[in-house]
Amino acid sequence: MKLVSIIISGFICLFFLVSCGEKEAKTNIRIAAIEPLSGPYGAVGQDLIEGLQFQASIINNNGGVLGGRNIEIIPFDNAMKSEKTTEQLRKAIDQGIQYVTQGVGSSHALNIIKQLQKHNNRNPGKEVLFLNNSAVTTAFTNELCTFYHFRFDANVDMKVAALVTQIAKDKSVKKVYLINQDYVYGKSFQSAANKFLTDRAPNVTIVGDELIVPFGKILDFTPYVTKIKSSGADTVLTGNWGPDGTRLITAVAEAGLKIKFYSIYAGIPSAMNQLGNKAIVNPILQVTESHENDSSTPDWLRKNDEEYFKYANKSPTTDRLRFMIEMFAQALDKAKSSDPKQVAFALEGATGRSAHGEVNMRKTDHQAHFDMVISHISQDVERPFMYNGDNYGMAYETDGWIKKEDITLETSCKMDRPNS
Amino acid sequence: MLDLIIFSTFNGVLYGMFLFMLASGLTLIFGMMGILNFAHASFFMLGAYIAFQISNVTSFWIALIFAPILVGFVGALVERYGLRRVHNYGHVAELLFTFGLFFIMEELVQMIWGKVPVSYRVPESLDFTLLEISGMSYPAYSMFRLFLSVLVFISLFTILTKTRYGLIIKAALSHPEMVSALGHNVPKVFMLIFGFGCGLAGLAGVLSGNVLGTEPSMALLLGPIVFVVIVVGGLGSIKGALCASILIGILQTFAISLEFSLNDLIRFLGYEIDAESYWIYFVDITISQLAPILPYLLLIIMLISRPRGLFGTRDV
Repeated sequence: MKLVSIIISGFICLFFLVSCGEKEAKTNIRIAAIEPLSGPYGAVGQDLIEGLQFQASIINNNGGVLGGRNIEIIPFDNAMKSEKTTEQLRKAIDQGIQYVTQGVGSSHALNIIKQLQKHNNRNPGKEVLFLNNSAVTTAFTNELCTFYHFRFDANVDMKVAALVTQIAKDKSVKKVYLINQDYVYGKSFQSAANKFLTDRAPNVTIVGDELIVPFGKILDFTPYVTKIKSSGADTVLTGNWGPDGTRLITAVAEAGLKIKFYSIYAGIPSAMNQLGNKAIVNPILQVTESHENDSSTPDWLRKNDEEYFKYANKSPTTDRLRFMIEMFAQALDKAKSSDPKQVAFALEGATGRSAHGEVNMRKTDHQAHFDMVISHISQDVERPFMYNGDNYGMAYETDGWIKKEDITLETSCKMDRPNS
Repeated sequence: MLDLIIFSTFNGVLYGMFLFMLASGLTLIFGMMGILNFAHASFFMLGAYIAFQISNVTSFWIALIFAPILVGFVGALVERYGLRRVHNYGHVAELLFTFGLFFIMEELVQMIWGKVPVSYRVPESLDFTLLEISGMSYPAYSMFRLFLSVLVFISLFTILTKTRYGLIIKAALSHPEMVSALGHNVPKVFMLIFGFGCGLAGLAGVLSGNVLGTEPSMALLLGPIVFVVIVVGGLGSIKGALCASILIGILQTFAISLEFSLNDLIRFLGYEIDAESYWIYFVDITISQLAPILPYLLLIIMLISRPRGLFGTRDV
């Protein structure tokens, strides 16, 4: 009898706890973060969500938004699967969440864009806004653009434009070999590279243009390395990521070739750790919105970086998460409402702080524009990359900044705007 | 041209022997026990991770010896307490068991070593350029791998064909009752084979984790190429696995370096295909682009024309 009453009172307590939680959640501005939290890509998603939660906590500790309300990041695991993304988005909408963020995998971003388009058309007054933090397919801000999608990362074309702008300045680059993964992302990298190289670096010749089977299916890159060698290339421009990137770089280093790599993701921290000292004898360059060892980093960003390190025990890598949350918070205050439609109008043309000047959210296509930095992996740095207590013994060193005007591209976006 | 032939042959053999190393354990288990081990790549991954752990604390050489033994031990335990019970329910049950094991191992590895790639590196003592062929340098480590995979082939071949143990192992598959009537412990033989096969996968993991990258998705990424090797070579034939590996290795290396397409042939014959037509997509594909699917093409041709594979004794 006693046991029964304990169980019953336990349930009553639990009920109250839950209902209290509900009440509080209603006053919070909730953002559903749909990312892979399990499976092989789990680490990427977890790091992103940690970054978002940290930046939200900074806003909340400084008084929150809309006169004291908090921003709350609610993680949803899509396990890098399409059907799971749909399912989790439904769940988030059912819970009354009106803001969604996602970044890992453009296919999932496309899924969310399509789903939200339907939802927002059918449910006027209950719109859901998509804050895209890292999905880079250019089409999202071109032919596929919608009013309820905002991208805070540079798209593939912009990143390639930044890389090519640097290549044009780099006197050591004369012959470029393109090698990319044979799927949507790799192909858009390839066509952007071809276009910008002829436009912006007319002195550079393209000596090879290769598409490879993506996602780690190639175990031996040596035959490709011979092709690169016999083409006489001095630089490889590649969009490869994951094993396709690290294996290529390792194979080139093993063959004793002197090649410069210009990439987007081949030098991200997880790849850096795998490459090791020997593979980085060749310069590996990448384009990011900022990095910790850049000497022009403003003091307020340094402080934010240091606090992030204390919070997550990791070196900061994705500054766009910071300006995304900051600009979102400003837009809420400017709109004086948590209604996604008003917030979307407030975000159009909004400005934020980047590591190097301002971030501008272009009204026509909802693409953020900001200066980007080209850097290479180096062991001679003041702040080596740290990840959960592991010191990687290397980090990035600045080669040059690319002004946002140089990567501001035309857009074909013609979006339907609702009446305000 | 001569350069190309020398390089492609050499690199093809190198790559082929690497494939053989991956496939040898699988073909042994399949050939001797009739179990299609879906979790083979998981044992490969386990080998790489254990080698990373051991070489972090001690040295690569100790990892090279103990990691395969440890993986083999895990394999033997899996056979003793898992597969042996499932065995009575037939091949489908075994297949499903190893399929499930694959996912469990992937999660386990992520729980122990985390989800980001670990920095398992080539030992410094072997990290130098050994020889140069047509301008491409080859590190000592890849020669070391070649040497070890040849050693694995020779010892496996000798054990299976020349010794009494080989005789018992082969008989245990075809005439288990007779073998056990003669006083041999057949389940124990099976346990040892499974453990040994997993140990070989572990050895492959130790030797290639530092070249391919050691991460939780490596088992998944290794993909079906090992199955191609054992089917083309003939199920259960060590000699077949060797020939198929080298064949695939050379085929792929050659194909990647050939930039010819069907369109070139058509042009050579004096015809021209309209650049606007849909056909251009098909005829413009170069042999180089087709290289990654060649092994699977070979698999299909083999299954149609000779289902038992190169050296197999029974059909798939």
